[in-house]
Amino acid sequence: MTAESASLVETRALTKTYSGGVRALDGLDLSLTEGTIGLVGANGAGKSTLFRILLGLTRPDHGTVRVAGLDVATDPIGVRSRLGFMPEHDCLPTDQSATDVVATLGEIAGLPARAARQRASDVLDLVGLDEARFRPIEGFSTGMRQRTKLAQAIVADPTLVLLDEPTAGLDPAGRHEMLDLIRRLAGFGISVIIATHLLDDVQATCDQVVMIDAGRLVAAGRTADLLETTGRVRVDVGGRGPELVAALAGEAGALGSATLAADGSVEIAADAEAEVDRLIEAVHRAGLPLHGLSSGRRTLDDVFLDRARTAHGAA
Amino acid sequence: MTTVPTSPPSPGAHGAGRVYDRGYRPFDGVLGGRRAAVTALWRASVRRALGIRRSWRQKLFPWLLLVVVTIPAIVNVGIAYVTRDSPARDFTIITYRDYVGVSTALLVFVGLTAPDVICPDRRNRTLPLLFARPLTGLDYVVAKVGAIFTIVFAFGFLPQVVLFVGQMLVSDAAIDYLVDNAAVLWQVPVSVSLLAIYYSSFAVAVASFATRRIVAAAALLIILLVTSIVAGVLGGGEEGDTSIWAVVNLLALPLHLRDVVFEGGPAADSPLHGIDNGTAVGLGVYLTVLAASWGVLWRRYRWVEA
Amino acid sequence: MAFRPVDSVDPDDPAFAPDAAVVVRDVSVWFGQKVALSELSCSFGAGVTGLLGPNGAGKTTLMRAICGLLPANRGEVRVHGHDPRRDRDVQRQVALVPEEDAVPESLSPRQLATYQATLAGVRDRDAVERSLAAVDLLDVADRRLGGFSKGMRQRGKVAAALVTDPSVLVLDEPLNGADPVQRLALIELFRDLGAQGRTVIVSSHVLHEVERLAPRVIVVSSGRLAAAGDHRSIRDAMADRPRRVLLHSDDDRRLGAALLALETVASVEVARGGLTVASGNASTFAHALPAVVHALGVHLREVRPLDESLESVFEELLR
Repeated sequence: MTAESASLVETRALTKTYSGGVRALDGLDLSLTEGTIGLVGANGAGKSTLFRILLGLTRPDHGTVRVAGLDVATDPIGVRSRLGFMPEHDCLPTDQSATDVVATLGEIAGLPARAARQRASDVLDLVGLDEARFRPIEGFSTGMRQRTKLAQAIVADPTLVLLDEPTAGLDPAGRHEMLDLIRRLAGFGISVIIATHLLDDVQATCDQVVMIDAGRLVAAGRTADLLETTGRVRVDVGGRGPELVAALAGEAGALGSATLAADGSVEIAADAEAEVDRLIEAVHRAGLPLHGLSSGRRTLDDVFLDRARTAHGAA
Repeated sequence: MTTVPTSPPSPGAHGAGRVYDRGYRPFDGVLGGRRAAVTALWRASVRRALGIRRSWRQKLFPWLLLVVVTIPAIVNVGIAYVTRDSPARDFTIITYRDYVGVSTALLVFVGLTAPDVICPDRRNRTLPLLFARPLTGLDYVVAKVGAIFTIVFAFGFLPQVVLFVGQMLVSDAAIDYLVDNAAVLWQVPVSVSLLAIYYSSFAVAVASFATRRIVAAAALLIILLVTSIVAGVLGGGEEGDTSIWAVVNLLALPLHLRDVVFEGGPAADSPLHGIDNGTAVGLGVYLTVLAASWGVLWRRYRWVEA
Repeated sequence: MAFRPVDSVDPDDPAFAPDAAVVVRDVSVWFGQKVALSELSCSFGAGVTGLLGPNGAGKTTLMRAICGLLPANRGEVRVHGHDPRRDRDVQRQVALVPEEDAVPESLSPRQLATYQATLAGVRDRDAVERSLAAVDLLDVADRRLGGFSKGMRQRGKVAAALVTDPSVLVLDEPLNGADPVQRLALIELFRDLGAQGRTVIVSSHVLHEVERLAPRVIVVSSGRLAAAGDHRSIRDAMADRPRRVLLHSDDDRRLGAALLALETVASVEVARGGLTVASGNASTFAHALPAVVHALGVHLREVRPLDESLESVFEELLR
């Protein structure tokens, strides 16, 4: 299997400027493999432009794009056959039932009529729409609409689906369910690109992340790789931090310079196994409760801000 | 389609048990390409217009309309049957040519149906879902106009078939009737097509500007009515007047082409009768309307931006 | 689940903030057959308070009642002691930034804020500039709102709301559509506004941000008050639910077996992601853990409480 066929989306020097000088994409080089990818953007129309380019609906000023092995410039229709799309806004016909809409859209994606009906039924099951699927979409809640939108995106068994803010408007429970659904798609052989502003969603769902700021790539790679550890250990002893700091004062090495953080936890600047063991020993000896212990993994929020700041500083 | 068992048979005290895969079934057929997509969109639009898979209320108007436009044919055949042995035997209430006319009911139908297949896609913002499918903007237009065309053609043609077959059966010798009226067999489909393509293109073009169906329908009917009134005023204002201004009447324009098909030129009762180059001008305006409509539609549904 | 019925104002009741500017007392609102709010009582004071609840819980209705946009069928809403529905002066002190994205597209942020200022009869000439500066829209203040991203339109709306210098600011999903950088900026802005002594009420579904923004939350469900206070305390109040902690060590199975021997531990789950322990009392477990680790000699790497975030508290609350 060549590198070409294993890659999902490849762009080279992708540039798109709108009239008025808005540079939505600026020399974007991407190489995404199958999986669940989070697309996070700031300051500009980058993410919607990228989606439009992937769908072959917008021609870039410069650069090449390949999706699922096909060149978008030469075969946009072929590319669209393998893609599914879930827009952010309301887009479903209100006077038809979910079943009807999803089956019809399946046919328009190229499925034979009978297969479309069956696939519609399958995907509506998958997204958790039960008897409601026979009712007109008019009466659907936001959560049901989002799920129907997702269903129509995957009805034709696409290689890749593009989801634009799939959790918009959903309450916490709904968000949870939607993210669960999205996580399952990878297991069905469907890759996902989620465009969202919620880094928390990305961290919880995606194995790859792409961060774009003002059209330029700020970070891209596997989520796990981006979330490096910070080399600090944080321990929460339930508000009795000062006691622990005092107990550690005489210790050799990093433990001796433990500091009290703003939220009452204690930090030491090391994460070597031996150090952590000694730390827990100290907690035990001092008779303190161990509420929390972590090696300070960053959140994607931190990563984004860091990278965005450096990018702006360099610009 | 095979079901793949996920677990090996587990032999227990009660015999073997197995769980069959209840997970995701990928689609392993071949996806139709552009042509399948366009056909599917066309079919879905026709279904929508005819109220298929929708409530009985949506079905009522189209099917009632079909009955209404077929009534003249039935009545005619009925009269022909009843008078077949009497001196009044050649009495007809409608000729084939006349039947290819602008029935008000049919016009109202186009005025309601074209907006119904076009406006909701805009109003509900469904177009992006269609953009993302394997078809182009032009394909979309072809499918939609095609759907309206299909229905208008069918509603114009089927009653004619009823009329012709009915007359054939009622006449003394069916084969003779067929031979004597063979010209009708091509005249009717051609003229109905000319009518249908005109009204469907125009109606869909007007509808593409509105997001609300009622606005589109009103706009359409107003344009057709206003042009017909203006044509009448410019043409002399009297019933039976003839004038070149008759071509301004967008409502009745295709009828001039119908006349050409049936009689080679403007009929005796046509407002273009005796006007120099009347037919040529009429044809010119007709083609302009068609070109303008398609031009508008091509622009309105240009999905791919450079 | 058992929640505390709210009767007369108990000063220790976390549903009621001390010196509250906005007081809601036994308010019921219904629209025909649908009951949106049912005998709800709570209050909002200076600083940022989060207003949470599932869709359809009545949050929007409550916010509109507070702004005087709709009447309470029963009970009373008081802002600074007056009825916001009747008292003009107090109405001017309350500003609402609704969720819908309906801004007049042809206006610029400056125009929108100026329009709002004129409508409200604001005398201060600098008010518009100050509000635009507060939301960081000064350099694009004259561009059409229609050309902005959703997040920037939100900021435009917030600027327009700030121009009247409101003492009560009610925001419905204010971070909607904002990109990560804008979100953080807005969160800081709201915290500042709260620190200035204003009563800032923020409704949002993005709970981990509400956690960062609001030290106090009011949770409504089906038109009734479900919980109030700081989310950790809310969690503690749900004492009948087990507390779950995720542990990572070099020998999860052995550690798990040993922990199961503790009386406070209800269950232990060994999975690839780690060891999940459910205990009846978070504190008792935390005290017992170091001793067990010491006795076994396992190398403990991570101890993470799974239900301390607002997100998990919320989920537990509304199960």
